[in-house]
Amino acid sequence: MYLLEHDAKGLLAQHGVAVPNGALLSDKTTVASLPPGPWIVKGQITAGGRGKSGLIKKANTIDEVNTLIGRIIGQEAKGRTVRSVRVEQQVTGASEAYISLLLDPAEAGIRVIIAEQGGMEIESLPPSALLAATAAPNTAALHALIDQLTANIADPMRSALRLAGQALTGAFLAYEALLIEINPLFVLPDGRWIAGDAKFVTDDSTLPRQPAQRALLSHGPDKTPEPSYLETALKDTHGCDYVVVDPAGEIALLTTGAGLSMMLIDEMRAAGLKPYNFLDIRSGGLRGETIRLINVLKWMHQGPQVKVLLINIFAGITELGEFSELLVSALRAVPEFKVPVVARLVGNGMETARGVLQAAGITLHNDLDHALAEVRTHLGSTL
Amino acid sequence: MISPRIDRHTKIILQGISGRAGRLHSRLMREYGTNLVGGVAPPKQDIHDINGIPLYPDCASAVAATGAAVSVALVGAYDLLDAMKEAVAAGIKMIVTPTEGMPVHDALQAKRLTQEAGVLWIGGSTPGMAIAEEVKLGFLPDVSLKSGHLGLMSKSGTLSYESGFRLAQHGVGTSVWIGVGGDPVKGARYSDLVPFYAADAQTHALLIIGEIGGHDEEDFAAALIAQKFSKPVFALIAGRTAPEGVAMGHAGALTYGSHGGYAAKRTALVAAGVTVFDSLNAMVDGVAKHML
Repeated sequence: MYLLEHDAKGLLAQHGVAVPNGALLSDKTTVASLPPGPWIVKGQITAGGRGKSGLIKKANTIDEVNTLIGRIIGQEAKGRTVRSVRVEQQVTGASEAYISLLLDPAEAGIRVIIAEQGGMEIESLPPSALLAATAAPNTAALHALIDQLTANIADPMRSALRLAGQALTGAFLAYEALLIEINPLFVLPDGRWIAGDAKFVTDDSTLPRQPAQRALLSHGPDKTPEPSYLETALKDTHGCDYVVVDPAGEIALLTTGAGLSMMLIDEMRAAGLKPYNFLDIRSGGLRGETIRLINVLKWMHQGPQVKVLLINIFAGITELGEFSELLVSALRAVPEFKVPVVARLVGNGMETARGVLQAAGITLHNDLDHALAEVRTHLGSTL
Repeated sequence: MISPRIDRHTKIILQGISGRAGRLHSRLMREYGTNLVGGVAPPKQDIHDINGIPLYPDCASAVAATGAAVSVALVGAYDLLDAMKEAVAAGIKMIVTPTEGMPVHDALQAKRLTQEAGVLWIGGSTPGMAIAEEVKLGFLPDVSLKSGHLGLMSKSGTLSYESGFRLAQHGVGTSVWIGVGGDPVKGARYSDLVPFYAADAQTHALLIIGEIGGHDEEDFAAALIAQKFSKPVFALIAGRTAPEGVAMGHAGALTYGSHGGYAAKRTALVAAGVTVFDSLNAMVDGVAKHML
């Protein structure tokens, strides 16, 4: 998952990565709760390009900080709502460099990218300004690579990039990260360095063995889910992938398979339809129980504009008769979710499934286009 | 590297045969014609076979007894790296790993290990591979498998099932179907298999089913150009409208900034002469028109 900057800095600081003093705030504040100013106020969302979206602003007085908090919190950017800001001390008198570590899937290694000039988007730098190469995923190889990449840089920049690179290597391997990017890396004339920003992408499949990352998913003794990581939390708890792709969407999707579900959403949007969610229910993992289906139906019921439920299952292995029984029981268990149900199933046990669904008043389609036509009919009748 | 063009005589072992998935799929694969000659499972008293397939306590003894050089591993995500180490040490030359959720840093180690040993690794998070009407390794549904001349590589299981099914309904069959899998760090990538499909006489054209995230499609396009691949190539890419920063089901389908986005993939593929389709219907019609 893509971490909020505040969480990224928290994890990195534990591995010796220096970060500006700061605090996470979701409401107006007082001088007492902040480090000394001047400050920078940074809206927290799990996507990049925050500067361009107007979510990062400087402030000299506590009044300015509070004005910015009021202005930034609640803003929408990249389809996300800003719920908190990180207010931190400005770093002044520093040069801005760039350093990142990321996966290299082709070379089966970790790629290190370094630039003496940072602060802007790395894509906008000329390729000649970038020092980059891939090393084996171990400490010795990465340290050697960083030494080699920085060999022709003058101090204090060289020593700062080396030390930052070593700290990031430790964090990257320990956290089993997919990407860590520090841009800008502030380098002070005396050689001290501080991570100005942090982009950090973690590997969801490591959660059972990465307790510090799992702890970010919820808050407090009652384990309230952190809204920024809702998708990962749902997968971690419920074993299926669910993403609300359009809060104003009209069509809830009960689908299996990541690729097919994504394609269905693309095609529906191209045809002017408004899907509400992405779902990979993992029909092969239901194991005869309705609980996962009941949960997703309840989540779909939260969509204020949802007018129809489309079920699309291409089952290689799953027995569709059994699946249909589970589906009908789950629908009965969530009576508050009162929308027309359109079903398109292909696979083993189709005729049994047809009978089960028919008894529940649901027509089984084999052809996806026919199912979409029925969806349109329902949307038309409720408009 | 071993050729993925195996057949119904190729000897195959199944690591993890005694698990829930192992029991089910050993039966389904065998019914399809796959020559499963051994299963690896922790020894238990009085159980000497599963679905008629003899059991061995470890890979080395399975390989020694059967002479198999190909393995399918159906073990837990956190046990997969060890299972792969065992297979490579035992002399396995091709390994298919359907398991979802292998930690990416484990996959880095697994990829280095298989590369150094010259082992062809297909996976992780793959439904497997198949030579239609001959042999299948993994889960590919029989209704989607029709023998023919279209090479097929896919990151996604279900989208390839749907594509194969509709193509088969239109009379288009596949030559060698390889699920490269949805993980960001995988064994064979599209680009690694370009030389194989170029040389495979039964393959007259190639379809790749891709999705957002990573650079596999871009690297594939570069390989087509570099190797002057002369057969027609088609592509379908999912995730055009997916939000940035959220992994859509597949760990590999995560975009951030301009990294892994749809537009870059489409541009690279088109520049390499690939016909890129925006919908399943258009893809099926276009490919069928060309193949028939």
